[in-house]
Amino acid sequence: MSFLKVALNNLRRNPVRSMLTGLSLAVSAATLTVVLSLDKGYSSAVTDDLVHKTGVHLYITKEGCPIEAASVIAQGGLSPLYVDENIVERLQAIPELDAVMPFKLFAVTTDDGSRTDIFMGVTDAIRDMKPDWRFESGGWFTSDDSVILGAEMARIEYLSVGDRMYTEHFDRELVVSGILGRNYSQDDGTFFLPLATAQAMVGREGKLSAVALKLKDISNMDAVQNRLRAMMPGDYFVIGSKELSDGILQFFGATRAIMFVMVVVAFIISVFGIINTMLMAVLERRREIAYLKCVGAGKYDLIRLISLETAAIAVAGSLFGALVGMMMSPVSGNLLRKFLIAYVPSGAISRPDMGIALTAFAVCTLIGVACSLYPAFRAAKIVPMEVLRNE
Amino acid sequence: MNNGHVIKLENVSKNYRRGSETVHAVQDVSLSVKQGEYVAVVGHSGSGKTTLMNIMGCLDRPSEGRVTVNGREIQDETEAGLTRLRGTSIGFVFQQFFLIPTLDVLENVSLPSLFTRRKLNGHARELLEMVGLGNRLHHLPGQLSGGEMQRVAIARSLINSPPILLADEPTGNLDSRNAETIMSIFEQLNQSGVSIVVVTHNPDIVNRCSRTVHIEDGKIKI
Repeated sequence: MSFLKVALNNLRRNPVRSMLTGLSLAVSAATLTVVLSLDKGYSSAVTDDLVHKTGVHLYITKEGCPIEAASVIAQGGLSPLYVDENIVERLQAIPELDAVMPFKLFAVTTDDGSRTDIFMGVTDAIRDMKPDWRFESGGWFTSDDSVILGAEMARIEYLSVGDRMYTEHFDRELVVSGILGRNYSQDDGTFFLPLATAQAMVGREGKLSAVALKLKDISNMDAVQNRLRAMMPGDYFVIGSKELSDGILQFFGATRAIMFVMVVVAFIISVFGIINTMLMAVLERRREIAYLKCVGAGKYDLIRLISLETAAIAVAGSLFGALVGMMMSPVSGNLLRKFLIAYVPSGAISRPDMGIALTAFAVCTLIGVACSLYPAFRAAKIVPMEVLRNE
Repeated sequence: MNNGHVIKLENVSKNYRRGSETVHAVQDVSLSVKQGEYVAVVGHSGSGKTTLMNIMGCLDRPSEGRVTVNGREIQDETEAGLTRLRGTSIGFVFQQFFLIPTLDVLENVSLPSLFTRRKLNGHARELLEMVGLGNRLHHLPGQLSGGEMQRVAIARSLINSPPILLADEPTGNLDSRNAETIMSIFEQLNQSGVSIVVVTHNPDIVNRCSRTVHIEDGKIKI
């Protein structure tokens, strides 16, 4: 005979109620696991995309707040702000820079509104910027009408090298000169055009969305950034790729806040559910508890007994919830991808791991056990004489 | 012990509030129960029998007077001290059985030892044999008759080997045959040295007791 055995047996009195209470905690644990996986995953995916995979260390764009700059570049929208192409030569003269890549970025939503295609006008400097770029087939632009397709775009559009691609929005026919190998970055979903062609398509000849810079030595980042700020016109903005990703993550802050509010709501529901259930369990057993006090059960014995009952529910519910959350996380990542406004990174945006599952399990178990304290103290305060006399 | 008395009440009164009214449940009662004595407490409903038993069982403190149980004065005991005293010195049997429905018979009997941290070494099984339920060890309470449940409750009250057994209407829910069985068990226990105080309306029990205490309006009727 042990306290645990008595506690577990008590849960069998009303198995449906015990199960439902456990499930309410499971929902909290699953929600917490999913949200933590998304939070970690999205931050990692954005940082991977914009800091690790682009090869870009600095961007020069028209002055604005970093968030605005991030938005313009990341969304590929046609910004009213632009950088003059004539700064490129001045930048190329800076010895600390390994590559200078001017680009024009714009986005076009398909007529049925189901998809937004990202077009990027580039020069061959992109090959210095991304030395690991590989063509799966074909190669570099062969004419002004050439287009290089990211791997995913080629798959979606069923296009091969030499095929013609008509863009209804611009009433222009392009010829596929190359298809990139998949590199699990934003590149997979991009149409690459010759810079001049891209500028002409949106009527912004000589204008750039931004200039991307790669440093020879990244430890010089601050010095180069300061030097660029000094030499650029006052209305230009020099932004690091880390600042860019941070800016995007600030956009994500609102989504993140909503997700955490969901977690809090799930917890509040669970907390009231558990307290209510355990309180009912205590009130239903008042006479039994009174008898236990008659035969020597002390205050702490009863607190221990009720807490163990709750702990058993909490452990089972939290464990189940954390496992379900781990399984649901990839699905929720794909769902969230459809609703993201700020920036949709190419990699997985939900990254569940054992640490997250254990955190969710521990937090939910602790909350569950904490919820038992009030009912447990109510049980401990039962006066046997009053209960046995009046009931 | 106190001169062979396991329970001693001296000028004990108990008053409590019921709404705006003060109820004098027990008034100036002095009573002793000797070791090995078998005492019946009788009286009409509301006469104060149960209150008296609660005081003797350390479940309630007197408003006035002194109470000594198994050599300890309960007025100055802490709540934890009274709990320990109940666990080690007093067995309780009530009209309702208060068995835990999800524990089997053996586990129900063993339960009080969980709180007193006593090693049982087969004591629960011996007690169940004694009350004639050796073949029902792993039955759940729901599988037992009323008489069997009360016998389990008696075995459970004895698990910590208390010198005192307090019973409140122990046969109140039983038919005459089962009541007879319970009375026989009580006699057997009393013969083995357990002091028994039983609150009852049952004249058969009263006739078997060595002494009867009549309570009327909270006072002992001489």
